Amino acid sequence: MMVLGVTGSIIAFEPELDRLLHPGLSRVKPGGRILSLVEIGEAASKKYGGEPVVAYLPSSSPNFPTQVILSPGVVSVNQYTGEVLGIRTRGQTLLGFMRALHVRLASGDIGRNILRWSTAAMLISLASGLYLWWPRKRMRIRGPWWSRLFWSDLHNSFGILSLLPLLLLTATGMVIGFEDGVSSLLDKMSGDHPVQLPQIRIRLEPAPSHPEITPDEAITIAGAQLPGAVPYRLQMPRYGGLYVVALAYSDHRIAAESNSISIDPSDGRIVAVNLSTSLTPRERFMATNEAIHTGSVFGMPTRIIAALASILLPLQVVSGLLIWMRRTRILGK
Amino acid sequence: MNRTVAIVFLLAASAMAGDLTGKWSGTFKVDGGDHTIPQVFILKQQGKTLTGSGGPSAGEQYPIENGKIDGDEVRFEITTGEWKFAYDLKQTAPDGLKGDLKLQSVNDSRNAKVSLTRSKGE
Repeated sequence: MMVLGVTGSIIAFEPELDRLLHPGLSRVKPGGRILSLVEIGEAASKKYGGEPVVAYLPSSSPNFPTQVILSPGVVSVNQYTGEVLGIRTRGQTLLGFMRALHVRLASGDIGRNILRWSTAAMLISLASGLYLWWPRKRMRIRGPWWSRLFWSDLHNSFGILSLLPLLLLTATGMVIGFEDGVSSLLDKMSGDHPVQLPQIRIRLEPAPSHPEITPDEAITIAGAQLPGAVPYRLQMPRYGGLYVVALAYSDHRIAAESNSISIDPSDGRIVAVNLSTSLTPRERFMATNEAIHTGSVFGMPTRIIAALASILLPLQVVSGLLIWMRRTRILGK
Repeated sequence: MNRTVAIVFLLAASAMAGDLTGKWSGTFKVDGGDHTIPQVFILKQQGKTLTGSGGPSAGEQYPIENGKIDGDEVRFEITTGEWKFAYDLKQTAPDGLKGDLKLQSVNDSRNAKVSLTRSKGE
């Protein structure tokens, strides 16, 4: 529970912390013409030995750079000047380790199983805490910090304040922990089957006779299909056979990023459209569950609540342990 | 007698390290992950070099990078986007490949065990 609480409060702000930890790769000064994706891709590729572009991550803000995915890592490029800011190579980072701790105790199946059953134990603990709090309904903190009364009041007050968010975080965490079972149960209930993606062929070589449409044209074609949606990722045809443009609606809180349009690179024809509005009940349930768990469901306010509730969890564990130890000592005497 | 054993051994070894060209399929499950992921590869061996493509299905394929064969050891990589898959396999039978898979993004690193078999008639 300590690990879940501390790591949960950290990864609630993972994108912001990630930018903070890589300031040189995360900020650009807006100004001038925005270069085309082709120009940006060429700059990144040239800098790193002519590696072909796997995908583009267009900038989500005028202050953030455009990112280009190459085989060795993710390259940040200033979209106004074409300056290559640097590369994030692949491998585990501190934040990645925090996430790994949160979802599987940074180990394999054993860690994953310990955590999923810990969420079940935590639900019971929260329910029993409410049962114990209810008769006295304590909401104040008395006594000096070293007294049992202080820790008991602290446990009661912070416990009841964080009860609802912790219940939501625990219940949604449990769904994520048992995702396979929950998913198949939901599929059975709704009669859904996994969606079959369109069959596409790999193209290991560049297009034959006539020129392909450019990444920028693919973005334009996709954007015209979903007005108001912002493209945040473009997969190149060499890596999957088609251009796949992923788009997000900034005003959608649930499954906002679950929109993608697949485009034939030879003629710009739209081959497949996957929209967040056409998710199966299971997919929608899981997306909603994740949005609640990460706090993204209502944006920054709920992310802050989720982080605060998570950080209160270790405090509850410590105060609960102190109360129990002192009670045991008193009973021993 | 010893010569016969040696010849049989050499023949078996050469058969094991046979041409990998063909269609291979199998699965992997990331350690600590929930799902079993299907794998389909269309491999082309040219001497000690391995090319072709691979991915979760015959329809979704990505190019093989840095494909190398050294005896019964087979190494190659696939980049699907945010994740890079590095395979370190051993040919355990003429139609069987087994080994380790390392998945790496710019934040995370995961491990998995992979087992592939050659599709019949390929």
